[in-house]
Amino acid sequence: MGRLCGWSRTSQMHGDGDGKERWMSHGNQDPFRMGFLTAVEDAERGFVGGLLVTNRFGRPLEFQCTAPVKPNRAQQILYGPTLRPFVLGELLGRTLLDKVGVKPHLVLIESDEIIDLRQHVPMAVAFLMDKVTDSATQLPFGKHGIAFHPDFQGDHAEMARHAKAIPADADLREPFERVREALAETVRLGTARTA
Amino acid sequence: MTDGSLRMLDEMSARQAARAAQGAVPGPHWNLDQAAVSLDELLNEVPCEGVDLGVPAQIYSSGMNVALQRWPAVLTEAITAPKPPAMMPPWKPHRQKVTTFGLTFPEGESFQTAKSAADKGGESASKDEEELTAIEPPRPVSLMDDEALAEAKKKLVRLKPPADALSIEDRLFYLLQPPLQSWLAGQELIMPFEPFPYQYEGIGWLFSKSSALLADEMGLGKTMQTITAIRLLVRSGQVRRVLLVCPKPLLPNWQREFRTWAEELPFVVVEGDGERRRLTWTMPGVPVLIANYESLVRDFAAFGEDEFPKFDLVVLDEAQRIKNRTSRTAETARALPRRRSWALTGTPIENRPEELGALYEFLEVVPPNATPDLRQLQYLAKQFILRRTKNLVMKDMPPRLDRDEYLELLPAQKYAYEKAEKEGIIHLNDLGDSISVQHVFELVLRLKQITNFDPLTGESAKLDRLEADMEEIAASGGKAILFSQWTKVLDWLAKPMAKYGALLYHGGVPTKQREPILKQFKEDPNSHIILMSYGTGAVGLNLQFAGYVFLFDRWWNPAIEDQAINRAHRIGCKSQVIVTRFISKDTIEERIDKVLTEKRELFARILGEGDDCNASLSLNASEIFGLFDLKARSNKGTKSIGPK
Repeated sequence: MGRLCGWSRTSQMHGDGDGKERWMSHGNQDPFRMGFLTAVEDAERGFVGGLLVTNRFGRPLEFQCTAPVKPNRAQQILYGPTLRPFVLGELLGRTLLDKVGVKPHLVLIESDEIIDLRQHVPMAVAFLMDKVTDSATQLPFGKHGIAFHPDFQGDHAEMARHAKAIPADADLREPFERVREALAETVRLGTARTA
Repeated sequence: MTDGSLRMLDEMSARQAARAAQGAVPGPHWNLDQAAVSLDELLNEVPCEGVDLGVPAQIYSSGMNVALQRWPAVLTEAITAPKPPAMMPPWKPHRQKVTTFGLTFPEGESFQTAKSAADKGGESASKDEEELTAIEPPRPVSLMDDEALAEAKKKLVRLKPPADALSIEDRLFYLLQPPLQSWLAGQELIMPFEPFPYQYEGIGWLFSKSSALLADEMGLGKTMQTITAIRLLVRSGQVRRVLLVCPKPLLPNWQREFRTWAEELPFVVVEGDGERRRLTWTMPGVPVLIANYESLVRDFAAFGEDEFPKFDLVVLDEAQRIKNRTSRTAETARALPRRRSWALTGTPIENRPEELGALYEFLEVVPPNATPDLRQLQYLAKQFILRRTKNLVMKDMPPRLDRDEYLELLPAQKYAYEKAEKEGIIHLNDLGDSISVQHVFELVLRLKQITNFDPLTGESAKLDRLEADMEEIAASGGKAILFSQWTKVLDWLAKPMAKYGALLYHGGVPTKQREPILKQFKEDPNSHIILMSYGTGAVGLNLQFAGYVFLFDRWWNPAIEDQAINRAHRIGCKSQVIVTRFISKDTIEERIDKVLTEKRELFARILGEGDDCNASLSLNASEIFGLFDLKARSNKGTKSIGPK
């Protein structure tokens, strides 16, 4: 599966030269962005990782996904219970965050399983929790709360600054559904093409 | 082998080892305990007897006997030992290379270019952001009560990739968009009202279609759905130039709706003389152009071949205008250079199914001059038409939907109105202290009549609008009740409304004839409108089979209007009632409406929503004077003006 370059929708438009972006101009140079990282598992093809970068309202900015990755037998035996965190975090998560062009300020994951990804990437990584207390590693965020890696205390302070930019009723679990649907679609289309 | 024998063996081995250590020859295997000094002794010990075999025997010296007395020589030889145990190839954890695949959204591209600049000026950027986020987004106002809202919120509308989107990036583009409800929840896009669930579906459907015919029944909000879908397309960078074509009387309506539903989206109306229109057509940086059919046909012809500006989206409102595919309007519409084509109509088929063919040709889903058969039409309808009726979306809607239609006066009406108002005020001022409420009231009535129609030319913005709506209502077999304050206006309307089987019902109609008229309105399928006066029609009638109510002019008191509306909107009515109030812009009607609305809001705030406070809402004398910036004379009191 080759990497897709560019995006043809904008280039097809009948736009005029100047001033066309005036009513859509961005007042802010580096607005807060979130990455939603998850993966789907296909029994035959292995894990497919997906990362959706959105603005603070959940509007998509960039999407990256991986080709299916299937751990071999040796990895399965040797990694044992640490296989999933390794594949999902270090292998897929790190690759996706390296590749993505629009870098998120915060990477959200659904559980603490791959929180150690934080050790390999420069941006904050946090997992979603339904109920949190505002403590050293936890922070209310949108409708939910997020918890950080205990070894990276600075993340909490950094994200506390951005938390108010997120609407209080924002459902941060919803974008993961989108990623999963998109991954299912790519697997489906990929299978259809190779078949 | 038993444990005992094992033990014996062990003991024997131990004894042998002890003797060997003393240099003795080990005993023979049959008697290990016997220590032998030499080999001869050993041999002597072998019990043997002489046996005569009767065979002569000779001993030859073979040298072997000597050899028997000697210890056999033990030779050693170096041999290659076996290889050390084989090891598996060493394994170290490593990151294997993972192939990735990605797409950037149009909004994301601008972030990428801004990134490097942001890296340099990060601090100022975050400061900007703080200022930006300090502004609380406005909350959308809901038309639904809490319960209905909670129910509706459960069903989030997600965009679906259109059937014709085959490439993976096209399909992902739709799949990755947030649910419409959260997209439109008053964060980035300000929505004045929360749309109904079926409207969300309509918006999502339009957004993902490049050819679409939205054929919702009148009153379900085609305009709002279209504007919101356009807004989302512009926002997501899918379209930059949109052309909206509508009948002339609907131009002000579209402008108002655009201002309401997409306040940030600039639009320009194509109007004025030829040169100005040409300039408007080619004006850069305008996302939405609104034109009427007549000026489109005229101006399109005036441009040379391939000179006409290109559009990302062309929307035809009241698209039944192009049902005759050989008409100039239809030909022009089909010739417009465009990427997406949408058509809006409440009546996609007025008479014959072939009319749909003309619409499909505009949508570019059938080849030119094609005449699809019934089966093909059905297939195309599934793909490209979205039609909901009031009954279908009943649970989504409140039982009564009020629409205030603000209409611009037509030129002759405007002239007559301004003249009458000017002269009237001069006359009132001339009256000095002898002025009474009655005088002002007379002027108000006169002006209100002009807003209905110009007595000289018969021009009427309200009639134009009514005709556009009635065309749709009649085509869908609906029935409407129209109320006016004046029998004269009703009589005047009877003629243009005759084609919709108009029936008159006012004080001038003899009582004996009234019942048969109501019966006819109910039973005659060709009778689509009944013209009633507030005084006669407002009380005691059951007309709940009528789905539409028009208030051609406004009564002084909303309570009376409500009574009138309740002719149609009663317990037992099977479908929603859509109430349309015509209000002429920048006239006495708008001013009265404002005063009444303010009073209604004030009462509601004090007494609560549920209280029926309308009875006290009539205008008093000082308010009537206030309509013309005149002050009530002190000794006139506050006489209430209400229905007799």
